Amino acid sequence: MNIVVCAKQIPDPAEPGELDPETKTLKRDGKLILDESDMYGVEMALQLADNAGGGEVTLVSMAPDNKVDGIRTGLAMGAAKAVLVSDPALAGTDALGTAKVLAAAVGKVEGADLVLTATESSDGYTGTVPEQLAELLGLPSVTFAKHIEIADGKVKVQRQTDAGYDEVECPLPCVVSVTAGVVEPRYPSFKGIMAAKSKPLDQLALADTGLEADQVGWAGGGQEIVGVEDAPEREAGEIIEDDGTGAEKIVAYLENLKLV
Amino acid sequence: MFRWNDEQLMVRDAVRQFIDKEIRPHVEEFEHGDTPPYDVLRKLFATFGMDSMARDRFKRQIEFERTAADAVARGETPPEKPKREGGFDPSMQMIPIIELCRVSPGMVTAMGVSMGLTAASINSKGTIAQKERWVPELLTLEKIGAWAITEPDSGSDAFGSMRATARRDGDEYLLNGQKTFITNGPYADTIVYICKLDEGNDPAERKILSFVLDAGMEGLEQSKPLRKMGMHSSPTGMLFLNDVRVGRDRLIGETEDVPAGGRSGAKDTFAMERSGVAAMALGVISECLDLSIDYAKNRVQFGQPIGQFQLIQEKLARMEVARLNVENLVFRYIEMVQAGVSLSFAEASAMKLYSARAATEVALEAVQLFGGNGYMAEYRVEQLARDAKVLQIYAGTDEQQIIAIAKDLLRE
Ligand SMILES: Cc1cc2nc3c(=O)[nH]c(=O)nc-3n(C[C@H](O)[C@H](O)[C@H](O)COP(=O)(O)OP(=O)(O)OC[C@H]3O[C@@H](n4cnc5c(N)ncnc54)[C@H](O)[C@@H]3O)c2cc1C
Ligand SMILES: Cc1cc2nc3c(=O)[nH]c(=O)nc-3n(C[C@H](O)[C@H](O)[C@H](O)COP(=O)(O)OP(=O)(O)OC[C@H]3O[C@@H](n4cnc5c(N)ncnc54)[C@H](O)[C@@H]3O)c2cc1C
Repeated sequence: MNIVVCAKQIPDPAEPGELDPETKTLKRDGKLILDESDMYGVEMALQLADNAGGGEVTLVSMAPDNKVDGIRTGLAMGAAKAVLVSDPALAGTDALGTAKVLAAAVGKVEGADLVLTATESSDGYTGTVPEQLAELLGLPSVTFAKHIEIADGKVKVQRQTDAGYDEVECPLPCVVSVTAGVVEPRYPSFKGIMAAKSKPLDQLALADTGLEADQVGWAGGGQEIVGVEDAPEREAGEIIEDDGTGAEKIVAYLENLKLV
Repeated sequence: MFRWNDEQLMVRDAVRQFIDKEIRPHVEEFEHGDTPPYDVLRKLFATFGMDSMARDRFKRQIEFERTAADAVARGETPPEKPKREGGFDPSMQMIPIIELCRVSPGMVTAMGVSMGLTAASINSKGTIAQKERWVPELLTLEKIGAWAITEPDSGSDAFGSMRATARRDGDEYLLNGQKTFITNGPYADTIVYICKLDEGNDPAERKILSFVLDAGMEGLEQSKPLRKMGMHSSPTGMLFLNDVRVGRDRLIGETEDVPAGGRSGAKDTFAMERSGVAAMALGVISECLDLSIDYAKNRVQFGQPIGQFQLIQEKLARMEVARLNVENLVFRYIEMVQAGVSLSFAEASAMKLYSARAATEVALEAVQLFGGNGYMAEYRVEQLARDAKVLQIYAGTDEQQIIAIAKDLLRE
């Protein structure tokens, strides 16, 4: 059972983020960590490979400046190897561009039976990459998995819905996005941490993916951030003095907003 | 080495996460409730694979010792001890000590005495059979160990005033005596009991022997935890031995012919213990400094954060100097171990003396910086100050360290 897990490396959410005034995007030049959302994917993959009695878990990631700290966390947890795509031409890449790059990276992994992603990243959270990735890979996909089982060449997934969950099946290979909190991501063992550095890490530039510069980056996205404004200050609320008719006034106010 | 490398930082962060989740929120219970520290320490070990690493290391050690013993038995020269394999990094032991001491130095005391002192004393002087019988479960914390030398009338003068005795009785021994201030004493499964062989001779000339006892042996009583100033997460107790009958299989080394009358074995153990204290001190100091910086920035008096007052700045600066110095001692120790160079007894003593004093001073200054809040249990520096003090007392008092250093300096 060979599983590929998308592992996004993001600026540490515990540190105050900063915008680059020039590009008007989040600065990503500091240390990047493994997005917590993807830790569930890594854990799920390790468990599935274990249950299947073997197989490799491979991480794929796209990140600026050949950053590897987040990937190392996944390797220390137990993933066998990783593919990282990094290239100056990728600056400004949107979700679809990211999916193209990730699809190319997944293509480098031989014999992948299953691709896992999170449902959305913690920093960009468009939540669109998993579907785009499936489409580009020409694979079926299931989203919002809260439980996964593998049997007879199929995945059986409990798919989270507002009301509960649906049980769905899908033939392998496929792309599945997993929700947060469904498994408890393990701590990397000391042995795992020491081994992580010597695990195979395939570092690719854009040229290695077969993509052209105009398919990714600012050009590929065709988008431009023209301005960044502070969110408007919250306006002062209306204070209702309770002279005995307070409740009525509040009900009238809410009725006016068509909330009751 | 002048800073932690990427892997060491990853270990630190992972351990820190575990402690923040599993220990920090429950400190109150560990310090003042009835929950001994052992289960959470076992969980720490299992989570990071420290138990299986220790088991593997022990297995390789025993295999080597067997091969060496077989060679000697055949009259051949034993093979040379293999160099520590590249992967071994003592920081894998130091970092958990440092991180735990930020929150609960008592846990480290309980852990260190069990898997450090107790296991090490059997592992260095025991026979292969004895090592296999007791050491693996101590190294993994499956069994809790205690190491008992101190007695009500015998502390710094551990060997001179020792009253605990072993008397021969046929092929066996009868053990008697009383031990006190014994870490893990109340809960220990495995106890190393240090006593004098009483052959009716002058006590000053008696051999020092160490025996391994199991909880529940007839005539062995383990007291309840004693009430004490700090280190509440580390149970400390008394042991009473009344004609405890043991075979030679429990005499460490299975021989009465111990080098230097048994007075050197414990010395090695002391040296190891002393370097561990520096790591403990670093944890206490780092936590106190972090808490103090935060408080100095946020506590406002006379219209400004107290960090703006020079008298407060001096405290912070001294804390930082202490942190740097102790960290350097720890780094030096790690490098020495990696280079296969051992600390001399005097060096270990110097390291312990400086670190213990620095920890106590920093923690008390942190209490001062916090003012009335510093004296309140709600603020963490109160506990750390109480905990730090014992670093100057156990594992040899400051005065004993000074004596050891001076003796080495003035040696002819
Ligand atoms: C303005 C701008 C500038 C950017 N600059 C750069 C840059 O310089 N270098 C660069 O590498 N990227 C860059 N990106 C790409 C960006 O970081 C995201 O990867 C991309 O926009 C995906 O969007 P999302 O996070 O909303 O994905 P979502 O759809 O919310 O993600 C869902 C899941 O898909 C997977 N996934 C998403 N992105 C990645 C990834 N990058 N690697 C691995 N798995 C992933 C994860 O499992 C994730 O949880 C830039 C994006 C923008 C909009
Ligand atoms: C929390 C805690 C845990 C402990 N755990 C263990 C344990 O697991 N196992 C164990 O065996 N012991 C343990 N001990 C005992 C500890 O090692 C002793 O308390 C310590 O060695 C000091 O001995 P003492 O208390 O008898 O003090 P004493 O030796 O009576 O010393 C009293 C004072 O006199 C000073 N003094 C003594 N001799 C000299 C001298 N020659 N010159 C100058 N000054 C001198 C001392 O430094 C000290 O200040 C523990 C103690 C504590 C507090």
